[in-house]
Amino acid sequence: MSYVCLWSPSWPTGADFPADLVASLLTHAPRVAVGERSLVWGDARGLHGGQLAEHMLRVAGDYGYEDAHAGVAMTPVAAEVAATQSTTQLVIVKLGQDRQFIAPYALRVLSPSGEISALLQGLGIETCGALANLDAEAIEVRLGLDGVRLWQRARADDERWLFKLPLRSLPSASVEWVEYGLKDPERLLFVINSLAATVCTSLIERGERAREMALVFSLGNRTQRTHVIRSSRPSAEQKRWMRLVREALDTITLPDAVMGVTLRVESVTGNGGAQGDLFDRGFASAPAVEDAVIQLTDDQGDVVVTPENSEHPLLEQRTKWTARTSRAARSTIKPQPALTLQLLPSPKVVTVDTESRRDHEVPVRYLDGNEWHDIVEAAGPDRVSGGQWSSSYAREYFRCVREDGMMVWLFRGSQQQTKDWFLHGWWD
Amino acid sequence: MSRASIAALRALIEQRFPDAAPLTGGAQTTEQVATGIGALDRALPNGGLPRGRLSVWAPQGGATAILRASCHSVVANGERSAWIDSDNTVAGAFWSDDHGLYLVRPKSRIHALRAAEELLRSGGFSLLVLAGAEPQGTETVRLTRAAREGGAALVSIGSAASMASLRLTSRLLCYGWRRSPFGDPAEAQNVTIRVDARAVGWHAHVEFPIPVTQHELRLSLESELADRRGLPR
Repeated sequence: MSYVCLWSPSWPTGADFPADLVASLLTHAPRVAVGERSLVWGDARGLHGGQLAEHMLRVAGDYGYEDAHAGVAMTPVAAEVAATQSTTQLVIVKLGQDRQFIAPYALRVLSPSGEISALLQGLGIETCGALANLDAEAIEVRLGLDGVRLWQRARADDERWLFKLPLRSLPSASVEWVEYGLKDPERLLFVINSLAATVCTSLIERGERAREMALVFSLGNRTQRTHVIRSSRPSAEQKRWMRLVREALDTITLPDAVMGVTLRVESVTGNGGAQGDLFDRGFASAPAVEDAVIQLTDDQGDVVVTPENSEHPLLEQRTKWTARTSRAARSTIKPQPALTLQLLPSPKVVTVDTESRRDHEVPVRYLDGNEWHDIVEAAGPDRVSGGQWSSSYAREYFRCVREDGMMVWLFRGSQQQTKDWFLHGWWD
Repeated sequence: MSRASIAALRALIEQRFPDAAPLTGGAQTTEQVATGIGALDRALPNGGLPRGRLSVWAPQGGATAILRASCHSVVANGERSAWIDSDNTVAGAFWSDDHGLYLVRPKSRIHALRAAEELLRSGGFSLLVLAGAEPQGTETVRLTRAAREGGAALVSIGSAASMASLRLTSRLLCYGWRRSPFGDPAEAQNVTIRVDARAVGWHAHVEFPIPVTQHELRLSLESELADRRGLPR
């Protein structure tokens, strides 16, 4: 059972509702809320609803409300109807019977608005069951959004958030002083280091890791400067955060002396991580590698990458490099070495001498820098063209083997439709 | 040195260093990282790339192919390897990511050296290949120290061989071609590589064939029909 609804016709409503009653109910229920019409809700999720309701009735009786009623159901609407409409003191709605339970009751138990109530009365719909049997589309067309909500409640489809989630306070630490203004960065760092120790210890105790921290400086001119520090990966390590703080302090300029510092965590994540492989020989060193990659990412950005390839005809436009986020599955297959194409970051213009081969020209040597390279074999042309709707390209590619054995990738043509020759890559 | 003098030397050492135990066999050298290529491992001193040491492989001539296969072999053995692509020449279309090999694409040469040092010092890598950023002078000293601390085999693709305990060069000797009906070369299918390994008191070479990965660009419907779409006339 999920919800216990407690109601008495005699207890006061609004501001007069006895607050100490709620405090007493909290000794039995993990969460208690006072809703509309002074309905008192108890959170019975994970508990025995009937027992909780009995305890709550006993507490209400102790406060002099002997006429209190309680309803227990899986949905708030069924619990509410059970508590307010039944003549017996405690009604427990059977599991999965919420809709059937409220079906015979008149529509007024759902507290419809006057307009909708009149419309439904005009249509001859008087009970919750009659409303629940209608189609959603018919309700939406005739009664609009409010009608749909009422229809959902008539079907015991009630997902109200009765209990507010408590706001979690994130770790923070601060220190202020009034006798002097701090201008020495080393002393400032010393103070922040102490705050970071407090914050990181708190994070470790909570089993959380910070993704973002805010460093707030209270300045002598009565203003505040806030600097947000982000780590590429969540961490609760003081050393890492201090490194990031040090880097941040190198880049900021404060207009006045510092009179106080606050370090607070802005966002956190849990301590979840990828499951390690016990048969991995590098299992023991996995955290060290993870740390090294985090440090690398913090220092240089997303440099540990993985390719995302498309089917673009041009090889240099086919790949998008993205940060390697998760550990790739380890393959136990040992691949054989193979000569693969290596690409220059951008094609390089070269001078090429050609000779005729049937209906086309093939390169016989090319000048790269100050050196001529003779070509002993040339396969091609492999022609590729496209991009007529954006930037057009048309290239004739040749795979050429130099006399020193290196196979290079030359092409003729370009986006500008010139006849220049380019060196695009080599096999290695 | 005669047998008697060796025995005398041994006795003297035992007298001076009574706690020292004599090392025999492979324990005299550091553990090696096997490349996974049997023929090559047999040609390398102690059967692989030395851990905690710097090896230098001269660029081109199939160095990338062999070292990348070695990295994958290391990963297949349950260890880690990383490839630092300093000059950003790795073509994404030919990089198979399903082998768990770390690929680092730094912004500059200095960033590449820093990344190498960071990863080496972590102690989690067995093999680290530094491509396109040849360390010089003190940079080599730092990287060699990091490799020794982390216990990784560091291979630099370059020609500066100072401080290298193993020097490797490779050459592509001859290609096996599939020919077109006109007798022209159409597709390189394999190539024979010669690898020369040099270390102190060691010089060996090996030749073995490897396949050539093809990149199909041809968009024409008929493989022998020239596709002239978009070409200037």
